[in-house]
Amino acid sequence: MPSRRDLLRCAVVGVAVATAVGAGAVAWSSTLLGEYSVMDMGGGHGTANGHTGHGSSAGSGAAAASGAVDGSDTVSVADLVADPDRAPDVRVELVARQGTIDVPGGRPVEGYTVNGTSPGPEIRARQGDLVEVTFVNESVADGATLHWHGIDVPNAADGVAGVTQDAVPVGGRFTSRFVATEAGTYWYHSHQVSHEQVVGGLLGAVVIDPAEQSATADAATDVTALLHVYGGQQTLNGAAEDEFVAAAPGTTVRVRVLNTDQGTASVWSDAPFRVVATDGHEVHEPGEVAGQRLLIPAGGRVDVLVRARDDGEPVRVHTGGARSVVVGGSLRQAQGPDDVPQPSESLDLLAYGAPEPLEFDPSQPDREYEYVIARRFGIIDGRPGNFWTINGRMFPDVPMFDVREGDVVLMHLRNDSSEVHPMHLHGHHVVVLSRDGVAASGSPWIVDSLDVHPGEAYDIAFVADNPGIWSDHCHTLAHAVDGLITHLMYEGVTTPYTIHGDAGNSPE
Amino acid sequence: MRKVYSALAWIIAGGVVVQAAAIAFAFGGVINRVSNGDVVDKALLESRTAGGVGESGFWIHGIVGGMVLPLLALALLVVSFFVRARGAKLWAAITLALVALQVTLGFSIIDVPFLGLIHGANALAIVGAAVVAAFRVRRAPGSGVGTTETAEEATSDAVSA
Repeated sequence: MPSRRDLLRCAVVGVAVATAVGAGAVAWSSTLLGEYSVMDMGGGHGTANGHTGHGSSAGSGAAAASGAVDGSDTVSVADLVADPDRAPDVRVELVARQGTIDVPGGRPVEGYTVNGTSPGPEIRARQGDLVEVTFVNESVADGATLHWHGIDVPNAADGVAGVTQDAVPVGGRFTSRFVATEAGTYWYHSHQVSHEQVVGGLLGAVVIDPAEQSATADAATDVTALLHVYGGQQTLNGAAEDEFVAAAPGTTVRVRVLNTDQGTASVWSDAPFRVVATDGHEVHEPGEVAGQRLLIPAGGRVDVLVRARDDGEPVRVHTGGARSVVVGGSLRQAQGPDDVPQPSESLDLLAYGAPEPLEFDPSQPDREYEYVIARRFGIIDGRPGNFWTINGRMFPDVPMFDVREGDVVLMHLRNDSSEVHPMHLHGHHVVVLSRDGVAASGSPWIVDSLDVHPGEAYDIAFVADNPGIWSDHCHTLAHAVDGLITHLMYEGVTTPYTIHGDAGNSPE
Repeated sequence: MRKVYSALAWIIAGGVVVQAAAIAFAFGGVINRVSNGDVVDKALLESRTAGGVGESGFWIHGIVGGMVLPLLALALLVVSFFVRARGAKLWAAITLALVALQVTLGFSIIDVPFLGLIHGANALAIVGAAVVAAFRVRRAPGSGVGTTETAEEATSDAVSA
């Protein structure tokens, strides 16, 4: 028989354990997100730090979107559209299916196709064109969307499920309309369950040709090199083999490298090349790069200009670790030239090209924000793990970045974690001002996807000229799932869409 | 409770063996891929296919090391408060501290590869601490004090079980 004292002790222990378990269960269930709106994130999104007051520049009408905020009333993201009365110049229908992807040179994998292939068809438009894309979801069970990565589209066309639209269900369709204002290399991909659908191939290239050819970017041949890993196979334009490009000796070839993967890609060659554009923005007076590699963040694009050798020998341009674009030479002569060892030194775009005045003055910002990435253990939506934090706060309690149309925004990006993060801001392009206190000294380095390495701190700036609610997240998409996502929130803009509701929206 | 404590300690020690085996398997897979002409780059790494046949090794190492072992070490410390054996709490605490250090090191290796040297050595320290903990409660009754403790422990075990 246990003594009375023992019984008492057991009772106390029992109550303590039950209380601890109960408190743990309550704490755990409090992390469950359920259905939520991004409007409610960041504690009502009014708590972000660092306001420096607003200028009186709001309502300048600089935005491409026609649904500009009129001052007092709120506007829904759904109303921030391109001119509805204008007839489209380019009209495309893209049909998404869940199924087998044929990988030439490799083995077929299960994934997602657009119009029967992955990558889907390349959309080609001319600067100034109004592009109208009808997206049809034929069989993607989770629903899908199209996001125009790098194109500063009106918010209604941004394609983020649960933020700017509902995921398009099987049998549904959605029309995106935008004006192709900036020439350059871009891509489209799903922004619904994106860590699966992008990896699975629901994507394609977009190339916007300049209204008039520029002198530096003048190339005889223009080739797209879209990198993607399908089921462990590195591919170039969907094929697990090199791409051969015909080019007459002495002529130049513009290679548009798109990194649609989840990590940094490297580009190098034993022939000198020029980096003529980053993320769809021309580099001013780009110099020749030799003996260095060029790194492209996940989601980023870089256009390089390569000159075919005068002697007719082919030039191998490595795009990513495993594939190359072979320029010139007699086509398919054996395997092309030998592999070139990858240089260990990387081209620093902070000091590449020649300086030129910025289109705005970042020295007197209207808003100043910190975006500090770190990592700690915790629970998100009932799921324990080692999650990314923004300014020390874990999703969904991350800061929101409030702006007003016309604001000049200065952001201090810092990576206190141990992994690289390719940070991607929707709907805007940022100019890099400095890295680790060293001011940019080359051509304005304008990007929408920026690798921030462990320990690095970048100062970036942009003009808030595109009203809406815009995701600002890591493009190693598994990191976004693990909390590395927040939003840029324009004053007076609201969204009727929710995440995890009946529409099944799950943007990451 | 002694049995639970002892079992947890042994499972932690065994878990470290699983960790060593899993990571060797994973890197075997990577080298195997490279040897067959594949190129391992960041894109492949992030697509979680760099390990080839050994890819599950990375997965096991991550789940066991990042989740299972920390929870087991935490459970060991909790259980130690219900076990009356000299040093049971101390060695459970040491085990948990070493596991916490190990996880922190593991997540930092990508940025600072040299930490891998400590990560490997610290794994053996965890095995040592867990085994010492297990032996703490297995000690046969020797002194008079020990005997009374064992008797009391058995009583409370019977009630709480």
